[in-house]
Amino acid sequence: MAIEVTTPVALEEGTPTQVGELAGLASWIAIPGIATALSACGGGGDSGGSGATPIPSQTLPLTPPTTAQAARFLAQSSMGASRAQIDRVVSLGYAAWLDEQLALPLSATRWDWLVSQGYADISHKNDESGFDAAAWLKLLNAPDTLRQRVTLALSEIFVAAIDGLVGAGWRQFAAASYLDLLEANAFGNHRSLLQQISLSAPMGQFLTYRGSAKADPISGALPDENYARESMQLFTIGLLQLNADGTPQLAAGKTIDTYGLSDITGLARVFTGWDFDLAGQTGAAATATPNFLRRPMVQVASRYETGAKTFLGTTIAAGTAATAGLTQALDTIFAHPNVAPFFCRQLIQRLVTSNPSPAYVARLAAVFNNDGTGVKGNLRAVVRALLLDSEARSDPVAASTSFGKLREPMLRFTAWARAYGATSPSGAWAVGNTSDPGTRLGQSPLRSPTVFNFFRPGYVPPNSALGNAALQAPEFQIANESSVIGYLNFMQRAVAGNVGDLTPDYSGLLALADNASALVSEINLVLAANQLSAATAAALSTAVQSMAGGTDASRRNRIYAALLLVLAAPEFIVQK
Amino acid sequence: MTSVTSRRAFLQRASLLSLAGAAAPWALNLAAMGEAAAATAADYKALVCVFLYGGNDYGNTLIPYDSTRYGLYQGMRPTLAYARSALTPTLLTPNVALAGGVQYALAPELSPLLPLFNSNHLAVMLNVGTLMQPTTKAQYTAKSVPLPPKLFSHNDQQSVWQSSSPEGAASGWGGRMGDLFQAGNGNATFTCVNVSGNAVYLSGNSAVQYQVTSSGPVALNGIKNPLFGSAACSAALRTLVTAPSAHLFESEYARVMLRSLSAGDALGAALTGGQTINTVFPTGNSLADQLKLVARMISTASDVGAKRQVFFVSMGGFDNHDGLATIHPGLLTSVANAMQAFYSATVELGVANQITSFTASDFGRTLTANDGSDHGWGSMHFMLGGAVNGGRFYGSPPVVANDGPDDVGQGRLLPSTSVDQYAATLGKWFGISDADLLTVLPNLSNWNASQRTLGFV
Repeated sequence: MAIEVTTPVALEEGTPTQVGELAGLASWIAIPGIATALSACGGGGDSGGSGATPIPSQTLPLTPPTTAQAARFLAQSSMGASRAQIDRVVSLGYAAWLDEQLALPLSATRWDWLVSQGYADISHKNDESGFDAAAWLKLLNAPDTLRQRVTLALSEIFVAAIDGLVGAGWRQFAAASYLDLLEANAFGNHRSLLQQISLSAPMGQFLTYRGSAKADPISGALPDENYARESMQLFTIGLLQLNADGTPQLAAGKTIDTYGLSDITGLARVFTGWDFDLAGQTGAAATATPNFLRRPMVQVASRYETGAKTFLGTTIAAGTAATAGLTQALDTIFAHPNVAPFFCRQLIQRLVTSNPSPAYVARLAAVFNNDGTGVKGNLRAVVRALLLDSEARSDPVAASTSFGKLREPMLRFTAWARAYGATSPSGAWAVGNTSDPGTRLGQSPLRSPTVFNFFRPGYVPPNSALGNAALQAPEFQIANESSVIGYLNFMQRAVAGNVGDLTPDYSGLLALADNASALVSEINLVLAANQLSAATAAALSTAVQSMAGGTDASRRNRIYAALLLVLAAPEFIVQK
Repeated sequence: MTSVTSRRAFLQRASLLSLAGAAAPWALNLAAMGEAAAATAADYKALVCVFLYGGNDYGNTLIPYDSTRYGLYQGMRPTLAYARSALTPTLLTPNVALAGGVQYALAPELSPLLPLFNSNHLAVMLNVGTLMQPTTKAQYTAKSVPLPPKLFSHNDQQSVWQSSSPEGAASGWGGRMGDLFQAGNGNATFTCVNVSGNAVYLSGNSAVQYQVTSSGPVALNGIKNPLFGSAACSAALRTLVTAPSAHLFESEYARVMLRSLSAGDALGAALTGGQTINTVFPTGNSLADQLKLVARMISTASDVGAKRQVFFVSMGGFDNHDGLATIHPGLLTSVANAMQAFYSATVELGVANQITSFTASDFGRTLTANDGSDHGWGSMHFMLGGAVNGGRFYGSPPVVANDGPDDVGQGRLLPSTSVDQYAATLGKWFGISDADLLTVLPNLSNWNASQRTLGFV
């Protein structure tokens, strides 16, 4: 669906780009066609403007990326670098690589894989078997690595979790259906994604509005408020009025709430009457196959609240039909000026850095609000701009002691698997649930404990130098004394081929293994974008060189040790 | 406390801190640490916070039983209400009857706790929740007094409960209590121990929560045994993962790793040599697993020189918007069985009078209901331990109503007792002076001195 921007767009002419603020970027140029078409302000419409007019900026280097730059780019834009992908980025350049990825067709869905593996058999109705494999095989092996990375990010913003997909069986299919939905829309439009999520059976289950009924005047019962609340707080606008650069607006020195309890109860009335589309069937037959879990929910008129619904300064008139009311409600939310900075900042955090500058957020929010053709919410344009932004691509910026992010454990694991083309010869992809922090990754796809994700975007480790420097570090919320060890113990098994039947291809490393320095150097490039210091690399090389070599078995041991050491290095674990 | 252990503890902390490298910011924390080293203790005590994540439904936890109020309860949640007859076996008979014939029963699933109430080891806190100051309904409606920020929001109200501030708070009251005592603990690392993940509750101004699994500390295989047969690689691994870095994220990660490796060795050894606990804990019950580890750590407290410890355990799943009638009873069963077993273990260890556990949660919920209940505010909680003045209710029973005098609509209770008062009572028992309590609990000074503690322990 095409979304027209309804607010006037202020054009900025001939503005200098952000480049000027970044030292040592003489080799960067602006792409004029994009820079002039974008709105200057998200339309907050009030004083919030701190005078820092967001300046759209799309910059590209004149020279081809180096292998290290390509590896760093891939750490942000893919499920993990490999030699082949590094070469591809060097050969095409960043933008053309992105365009190539953006044009890749969707790979087979998780749903279809589950069916192909026999999980749609009625014997699996009340278990969740197959889901982890379906999720991991995409993250580890699907060719559209950029789309997989964005899908994973979306699953940590629009959070659902398999444990909450209850009430009708077939949890593996409910979870697969949800991830497939996110993936199909990863380069689509944000507004359309909101519509589809809101009508999706798994979200109806997870945030419990499936079956929610209108108010009962006798008992005083009101409609379920869960989705109304969390969809605003976590998925779209957040709790505080934001400037277009993602910083909170202040009034008399205080932050301003976006909504109150009455907005929640008003919006909750929209999410009534929705239920599974059972295609006219009843009884056991209706849920004998999982197909209802990928059909949009439908209305049960007797449960729908037909009265007026007031929230966020809007009233949906009494008598408005349910679908029209839902569309109007989501239009209202989508029109909120918070949506662009709220979403864009989190997407940057998932891909590039925990503490983007307000200017970076503002540039991206401007693209969100207008992709250059008048369309708002174009995720393809947002992803492209996010990864090509000067702040993401600049080596001097990356050299700061506060830039970057802690790689979340899932991405450390996929970085290894993608680097060495790990496959599942049996086709079972039996990585399993990796949630246990003491023995596995402390994180697993679509297994957040709650709708608040594995970690919060504003998390600051208490009592830390990060906190003293006013830096956010979301992923540290799950980095603790147990999980830092559990991760390494898991990876020690993984690199040696002892997780499921995951089988890495170390043929490229075997040729280097007798020369520990060359071996570590290669791994440093592919896994860590050469971000291990020379001293660290030398120390690791010395240790690995002390191991026996000369046979394939001993070379493999060297490879395992070198890989584990690099995977353990804080210089790898922090993506910069 | 001896000066030797104190000095060692200080040096251990100083070395942890200096690892971060960035000298200037840390000076602040070192200063705070010095200030906080105020309280000393000769005996041993522990506080155990049992946090029920998601917002426990108070309406089906502690149920009005007298016929008038039961009728109101049943009328407000006909689809969720327990039958009155089902509640008769768990009717609470307090030592001091509530005024006006008010009676409560425990949810039937909490029956394992009934003997503890009857033996005066379990007390009930009525309508406790987050407040900035004493607040009437008129004041709430007129917004004429400061209200807790972000009411009804999970993450924020969890944080306010634990820290007095919304999400983003830097320290919680469990951690701030730890600040006062960690200098007296032989190994400061074990002052604030979290067996369930990460909670701001246990972060102090200097105290750092130590996170451990229900199975105890996790050993790093690549160091415990030669890494792929190479001792040199194991040595390199140990150096690598704890190496200082100028990069703030790398430095913080290394700091967690260093704390893990040093504490893990000490705790692992202590637990291995610790006392066998014969009390049977329920299986398949994550909360019980966590509390068993707490009991094991308590049994070895003297081995690590601990005098005061604050523990945090938790259970999720309480956000019952849907299916409450089928889900919530099972959750309560787990809570009751776990807490009952834990109390028995403290009896077995001979420390029942030294351990006080208590429940907490994001918020209460609405009393009106659909298939579940929605986010609320005040709630009912439990305090358990040999030192608890149990068999009693504390606080005021709220009027059962939809938009009555004690709720802000839908039975979302306006708390009549604040978390600060609840916490202060626990803190006073722990050995914290009245003056220090005002620092640990920044809103406490908004209550009259005579009302700041409640006397339940």
